[in-house]
Amino acid sequence: MFVIVFSRGTANGAKMASLAKVVNISRAINNVSQLFTNLTISPSIKCTSVLVSQLRVPRYGCAYVHTTPRRRALMEFFDDAKNWGEFDIKVGRAWRKDELRIKSNEDLHKLWFVLLKERNMLLTMEHAAKKDLEIFPNPERKYKVEESMSNLETVVRERNKAYHLLETGEDGERPGKLVHNQLGMMYYYRMCEHTIPKFMNNKWRQKYKFGYSGNAVHKFRKLYREKLWNEKRKARNRDRNHVMHLMKRFPNLDLEAVKEQYPDVDIENLKSQKKARGHFVPQ
Amino acid sequence: MRLSAFLLTKVGDLTKKVSNLPEKYITDTVEKVYYRTPRAIQYLDRTIKRKNFRFTTNRPWSGPAEFQNSPHKYRKKVFVEPLKDWNFFKGDRVQLLVGRDKGKQGIITQVIQERNWVIVEGLNTHLRRIGKDKDFPGSTVQSEAPLLVTTDIRLVDPSDLDACDVEWRYKPDGQRVRVSCRTGRIIPIPHKSEETVDYKRPTLYKAKQKDTPANVVKEVTFLPELKTFEMDLMDKMGIKEDRTRKPIFWY
Repeated sequence: MFVIVFSRGTANGAKMASLAKVVNISRAINNVSQLFTNLTISPSIKCTSVLVSQLRVPRYGCAYVHTTPRRRALMEFFDDAKNWGEFDIKVGRAWRKDELRIKSNEDLHKLWFVLLKERNMLLTMEHAAKKDLEIFPNPERKYKVEESMSNLETVVRERNKAYHLLETGEDGERPGKLVHNQLGMMYYYRMCEHTIPKFMNNKWRQKYKFGYSGNAVHKFRKLYREKLWNEKRKARNRDRNHVMHLMKRFPNLDLEAVKEQYPDVDIENLKSQKKARGHFVPQ
Repeated sequence: MRLSAFLLTKVGDLTKKVSNLPEKYITDTVEKVYYRTPRAIQYLDRTIKRKNFRFTTNRPWSGPAEFQNSPHKYRKKVFVEPLKDWNFFKGDRVQLLVGRDKGKQGIITQVIQERNWVIVEGLNTHLRRIGKDKDFPGSTVQSEAPLLVTTDIRLVDPSDLDACDVEWRYKPDGQRVRVSCRTGRIIPIPHKSEETVDYKRPTLYKAKQKDTPANVVKEVTFLPELKTFEMDLMDKMGIKEDRTRKPIFWY
C-alpha cells in the first residue's frame, strides 16, 4: 500500500481534532469583515487573502510552532495559490472500504469533513475554470473524493446496521417498498417519518395514490410491456447476430469465451446458420 | 444487455489499471452524457448520451479519443474476438508473425485490451509526416502500428528465446502462472506491467502534499462498542440527550 488521497492531516490526531472543534465565531466574523473591507479597497482577492493571513501570523523572535491548520476564511473554498494555473495536479487514490473499516467513528467523522471541504474546493475551482474558459486540471480528483465519501458512508451504515440488527432485529435503514403508481408502473417508494398516522393524513393520501385500475390503464400497460419486450427482443437478436458475425470472421474462435460473454446465445444452433459460415474450410 | 453496461464491460481491466484513474471517471468519459432531463415532476427520466465508442490507440479518457468520437462521426462497427485469458502484458518479449518485421522480436510497450491489440517497440512501423505546412515540408517520424494478439504475435520463451504457446497453470502454492507449452518453463509477468502513468512501481510512488501517509492509513483506531455511529460521537463530544421522542409513523 502506498498512499491515500486528500487529507493533509486526515487521521492525524492533533491536526484533525482542530477540524472538529467549534469555530471561534468572533474570530471568523472578524476575518470575514476584514476580507470584505479589504475587498472594497483592493481589486484583487488574491492580494487581500494574503494580507489577512499575514496579519494573523504572530511575529515572535523565536521559532513559532504552529499545530493547527491555517484558517483562510473564504479562501478555503479555493485551491492553494501555487496550484493556480497548473496543468497537472497529481494526487493518490481514494480511500478504500477496508481502510475505513479500521478507523474509529471519531476519525471517520473528521475525515468526512476533510473530504467535504476538498469537494467544495474542487467544485469551486471547476466552476472558476469554466467561467474563465480554462482547463480544470485533473478532474478525476472529484471522482476520487466522491468515491471516498461514498465508501465512508457505506462503512458508517454498516456499523449502524450491525447495532440495530443486534438490538432490534431490524436493520434500522429507511424503509421502502415496491409500489405501482396510477399508470401501473412499478417503482420503489421510500417511506417517510410522520407525526400523525396515515388515516389522519389527508394531504399525504391525496399526493400518494398507489395501485391502478380501469380499462385505459390496462391497455396502456399492455402496450408498455410490449415496448419493453421489443427492446429485450432486439437486444437478444443483436447479440445473436453479433456472435454469428464473430463465427464468420474468426476461424479459430474460442467458443467457450464467446459463451462466457454472450450467455443467452445458443451457439450450437448458430453453427448451421448460413450467416455464421466463414470464407474458410470449416474444422 | 443495457447499452451502458455494454460499454462498461468493454473497457479493459489492464487499461483501467494502467490509467490509475477511478473507474467511474473512465466510464463517464466513455459514455459521455450530453443531456439529462432535470429531476422534476414534469420531466420523464431521459438521458442523451454517446451510443458507440470506438476504442483506438488513444486512451479513452484522452483528448484525441474524445475528438475521434465526437458526435455525428460515423465509423464502421469493429468485431473483437472474445478471449478467455489475456496472455500479453507490458514488458513482454514477443515475436512477430506478420508484416515487414516478421520473425523479429520486440518488447510490448502498450496494451490495448479493448481491441486485442499490443504495440511493440520499434516494430511494425510506418512513416508519418508531422507538422507539414506551406513553407515547411514537415518532419518524418516512425510510428508503431498495433498488432493483433490472436494472429500477429507469439510470446517468447525466456529459456531459449524462441516463440511459444502459453497456458495458465497453478503453482503448488496456488499462484497462477504463465507456462510455455513447449518447454514447460514459467514465463514471469514483467515488472513493467505494474507501471502506471503515475509511477513505475507502486513502492516507488512519492506521496504528494494531500496524500495520507501509509502508516496513518494502516493504523487501527476502531474499537467495537455496542453503539451506533451517532451515539458514539455524542458520547465522545459530551452531547447529552434527555428528551424522549414522541411516537412517529412510518409510511
